[in-house]
Amino acid sequence: MSTTAGPSGSLTALALPAVVFTLLMIAFPFAYTLWLSFQSYTLGSSEHFAGAGNYLQLLNDPLFWNGIRITLVLYVLSLGLQLGLGTYIAVLLHGSKRFADVLRSLLISPFVLPPVVVGMMWLVILDPAIGAANWILQIAGLPRSDWLASPRWVIPTVALIDSWQWTPFVALIVLGGLQSLPPSVYEAAQIDGASRTGTFWRVTFPLLLPSIVTAAVLRSVDLLRFFDIIYITTQGGPNDASNTLNIYGFRQGFEFFNIGYASAIMITLSTIVLGAVLAMSYARRRAQW
Amino acid sequence: MVSATALRRLGGLQLALVSLVILAPVAWMVLSSFKPSAEVTAYPPTLWFTPTLDNYRQLFSSTPFARYTLNSLVVAAGSTLIGLGFGVPAAFAVSWRRMMWPALVTLAARMAPGTLYLLPWYLMFRWLGLIGSYWALILTHAAITLPIVIWVLLPFFDAVPHSVLESAQVDGCSVPRTLWRIALPLVVPGLVVSAILAFIFSWNYFLFALVLSNSDTKTLIAASFNFIGEGATYWGALMAAATLIALPPLLLAFAVQRRLVAGLAVGAVKG
Amino acid sequence: MKLWLTALALAAALGSAHAQDFNWRKDAGTTITFLSSNHPWANSVLKYKDEFTKLTGITVKVDTYQEQQMRQRLMTVMNANSDEVDLFMSLPSREGAQFAKAGWYANLEPFITKDVSKDYDFGDFSKGLVAAETHGSLVSGIPLNIEGPVLYYRKDIFKKCGVTPPKSLDDLLSVAKKIKACDPSITPFVSRGLKGALPYTFSVFLHNMGGSYMTAQRKSDLCSAAGKAALTLYATLLRDYGPPGVVNYNFYQISSLYRDGKAAMAFESSNELKSVMEGGARLNDTGVMLLPPGPGGSHPTVIGWGISVSAHSKHKEAAWYFVQWATSPAMQARLALMGIAPPRASVANDPSYRKWIDAEPVRREWIDAIDQANATGTSEVGYPIVANIASRDYIGQAVDDLLLGQKPVQQACAEADRELDALIAKD
Repeated sequence: MSTTAGPSGSLTALALPAVVFTLLMIAFPFAYTLWLSFQSYTLGSSEHFAGAGNYLQLLNDPLFWNGIRITLVLYVLSLGLQLGLGTYIAVLLHGSKRFADVLRSLLISPFVLPPVVVGMMWLVILDPAIGAANWILQIAGLPRSDWLASPRWVIPTVALIDSWQWTPFVALIVLGGLQSLPPSVYEAAQIDGASRTGTFWRVTFPLLLPSIVTAAVLRSVDLLRFFDIIYITTQGGPNDASNTLNIYGFRQGFEFFNIGYASAIMITLSTIVLGAVLAMSYARRRAQW
Repeated sequence: MVSATALRRLGGLQLALVSLVILAPVAWMVLSSFKPSAEVTAYPPTLWFTPTLDNYRQLFSSTPFARYTLNSLVVAAGSTLIGLGFGVPAAFAVSWRRMMWPALVTLAARMAPGTLYLLPWYLMFRWLGLIGSYWALILTHAAITLPIVIWVLLPFFDAVPHSVLESAQVDGCSVPRTLWRIALPLVVPGLVVSAILAFIFSWNYFLFALVLSNSDTKTLIAASFNFIGEGATYWGALMAAATLIALPPLLLAFAVQRRLVAGLAVGAVKG
Repeated sequence: MKLWLTALALAAALGSAHAQDFNWRKDAGTTITFLSSNHPWANSVLKYKDEFTKLTGITVKVDTYQEQQMRQRLMTVMNANSDEVDLFMSLPSREGAQFAKAGWYANLEPFITKDVSKDYDFGDFSKGLVAAETHGSLVSGIPLNIEGPVLYYRKDIFKKCGVTPPKSLDDLLSVAKKIKACDPSITPFVSRGLKGALPYTFSVFLHNMGGSYMTAQRKSDLCSAAGKAALTLYATLLRDYGPPGVVNYNFYQISSLYRDGKAAMAFESSNELKSVMEGGARLNDTGVMLLPPGPGGSHPTVIGWGISVSAHSKHKEAAWYFVQWATSPAMQARLALMGIAPPRASVANDPSYRKWIDAEPVRREWIDAIDQANATGTSEVGYPIVANIASRDYIGQAVDDLLLGQKPVQQACAEADRELDALIAKD
């Protein structure tokens, strides 16, 4: 592969339409929301400049901190589940030639389903009174759960739903990483007489790290802004137990019509996501070599 | 190595379990959509029942399903085309010139919560006179499809040897012509994968359509919220709606599954 | 010109200019857009929308959403001062004051007095509902139905378990207890548990206990003895006698549960009668009554949805014509036969409606409950402040704190009172 970069001027011109289009689409929304976030603007009262008022209010708002906490818990739980299980499934798949074909088509189905469908589907399955989930627990001799209606279990349940949808995606990405590793890596290790687990942790895992980090970055962007499934199933309830920052901002704006305050929440959330992505791509570059 | 076979069997067993966990909820949804309404809410759930099409009939008689489907198709196809139109040259340039910033800028749209865009985009499209037209939805969905196209295509372009591109230059090929005649034919698998993914994610997206579409342009996904509304308290019909909405993305994904999986794998390694 | 002068003179002579001049076809050719909620009223009236177009030459585009999504869309449209929506459905008891202050409603008062067909009879509407639509000199909408929470109960189960319909709030609890002991497979009592939705049903418990949301000094009063009793009773009924997961229940889960024969009592909107009766399984075993009185007497909640014209509409007159047509005595009489309780006295006494009611005993009980609510009820759901919607969330929070067993009643009500006092202070 050559390192020459091609005719730079005309190449930049090719990239320009995409950049201009994106900027045209997002520049105004960001500027507008930023401006709103400095306004005291609640429907039915007069709008006026509030300076940093909304942001100061955030600091003293227990529901804002609740939102941060829930967002982080959900993030860690979901990402952990998805990366762990995803890598595990990828390794299983890599070792099994027979199942690979059948499973591949199965693995792509969850994450191409519309979130609305996933939400509705799980809403029915997890219904505490009539759902199949409790029926299975009952057969297994376990106590029934209130699932999405339990303040204690709602976040783990949402994490399970999200992981059902996205673990296969992670598995496919990691599988790609596995398949690109030269077979000689394993052979050398096996001649050394290393155990299977030992080989995985000492040899395979470090080489897989870039793929895993890629999956982590892709999932992080969605998980930190978690919205769809909660909007469809619990809307932040019961009693704020699933009120992620994104849901909280949305409800402030579109349910209570505190538009200035909601804008401050959305700007804060965008900053958090941007920061996380930058940090991770930095780590990604470090992890590579 | 006696235990190797045993281990393989154990692995197979675990994979079977994984398949079951993935499949069961979807199967349950489809099954429920064919249950008579009284049996959907029966507890313990019935596994054997006489299937009925009542739920589907009720759905089609109560909603202009075909119209919403058409709207979804127009929006998803339109935004996929725009995503490809802007995304393909951008991915080509980013890959050849090794400059990441255009790819990162297009990703910026995904950093903010979707709700941030609702009020300002409505204002914008009103100024442009596009409220109530498909364009409002196509353009907003293109903001989602564009980064998908670029990021999926990048590794495919990366795999094209630069020597091929350079010799085209030497032969006097302009840059756009090099892209069109030399590079594009080499990344057809990537084009297919990115187009399908863009289409699927546009089809699935509901938030923008909830406030930017009107009675003429409402997408199937946005309309599906009505099924949970007043007067529509039938789980069976809800499951029927969910099944129908899920069908197009599932079929599309299955049609290109081999390439889709390969595409994701390539992206992971190079990206 | 001459003709016009003559008409004017004639009209002046008759003293009721509008009635004689009124011309349904004045705005023929106009297209108006109606942002509607997926509500039984809208679903019923819109079946006849072609008749409106035939009468007026006005085309109506209907954009239907579930209630919550409708408000999200309305918010987006109105924030941009857009004329995309000409008409919308609105719940004055919830958002009336806030939307009115924000300037979203066109004032219908001039239309009602000047641009109205002679058979319209605005004076016929329920006074309470008209009052809820009046904000100073602004008339924000026209009532399109009348509704309130009622207790649907299963006569057959009551008989089997040897209980009679509850006579008091205390009695309600003991009836639930007896049913639970008599038939464990049935849910004794169900009502709303979803935070933002439950003030609609909880308010009756509060008022019947003798409580009110605010004191005369405009202080939040959930921690009064009556307030705590109401919170405790409501939460106990749902926690100990309600279905699992009731904390997420809104009207549709409740209707569905009751319709499928899984609940003995359901305290839900009178509007859900149609939904509950679908399929016919509940037609002969259901009784309907108001929530029994408590120490504070009986104060049923009665509210109505309204249809409003947007302040930004460019076709206010055409939009008003639709409002007029859709809420006319003739149309409301037709809708009444489809189970939409009419907000007009004349329709309530219409012979064909009475005949429809007499056809089924349950309808008789149903309309009696609504009539009684209309005569004696209150429309206070949540706090009578501009931020009514936000106040409902705190009420729901206090109830759910108890329902989920997260806090003792004193702490739950005190925390709610504190937040609500801050909200009231901002009013």
